[in-house]
Amino acid sequence: MASTSSSAAVVEERESGRKRKRGGATGESEGSEEVQPSKWRTRGVHEIYSSKLLDAIRLVRSGSGSPASAAAGTAAAAAAAAASAAPQRSRAVREAADRALAVSARGRTHWSRAILASRRRRLKAARRARLREPASPASRHPTSPPGKGPKAPALARKAKVLGRLVPGCRKLPFPALLAEASDYIAALEMQVRAMTALAEVLSTVSASSSGTSSSPA
Amino acid sequence: MSSRRSRSRQSGSSRITDEQISDLVSKLQDLLPEARLRSNDRMPSSRVLQETCNYIRSLHREVDDLSERLSELLATSDMSSAQAAIIRSLLM
Repeated sequence: MASTSSSAAVVEERESGRKRKRGGATGESEGSEEVQPSKWRTRGVHEIYSSKLLDAIRLVRSGSGSPASAAAGTAAAAAAAAASAAPQRSRAVREAADRALAVSARGRTHWSRAILASRRRRLKAARRARLREPASPASRHPTSPPGKGPKAPALARKAKVLGRLVPGCRKLPFPALLAEASDYIAALEMQVRAMTALAEVLSTVSASSSGTSSSPA
Repeated sequence: MSSRRSRSRQSGSSRITDEQISDLVSKLQDLLPEARLRSNDRMPSSRVLQETCNYIRSLHREVDDLSERLSELLATSDMSSAQAAIIRSLLM
């Protein structure tokens, strides 16, 4: 009725105002799913993500600065943490960036939920589980789908590889996997753009601040 | 991937048709960097999947390199909250 048409118009207007880019030709309106890769190209989401990214890596910096040996417990672990500080920090940065990316996805995609959920699980259970499990039961008999003859197993194999690459998508059916992959790729591209911009800004700031004597603020 | 057969497997909403799949594959193909060079003529699905996997891996590598670079930058610089505000404004 009139209410639905007006609400649809409002949604459309909001979306077009959000898009703000040159070729926003998404008049197809993929449905209410909103798993459109184009939403990762807006300036708004880039700014939101950059801000979250900055906060996240600042936390990483302060987190690694605090005596991690207290949390590690054993002296050996503390020594190991100090020795491997650099790769640990970059991994922490990577994980923080991924988490910020998943948050920016607003939880509508499998991969974003998997990233946010896996953090706690990975810290505790998965480490032990990985030591126990010999290998994931990947022997799903690649010759099972008799659909299109010799083409099917290759496709299934590649789909499985793709499912392993996109977080949280190992058991998704094929169409959902493709949709997740396209959204994930768009999100990763935005992540690269934002991290590159941040690295440029930081290197400029640190270069200028080291050039001039910075007074303690 | 038996869900490609649009038969009794689907308990949920939609039946998976080949057309749906080829539509998704072509969308995926449009995202690939190669697609901007080609005339967007249809690549075989296996090729699209392969290129997708390669592209995701390369993006992961790029993110890892950037994380390393950012961690090095963080280690050397000391960021006060005022500096963070400046950086934030520079990013916007």
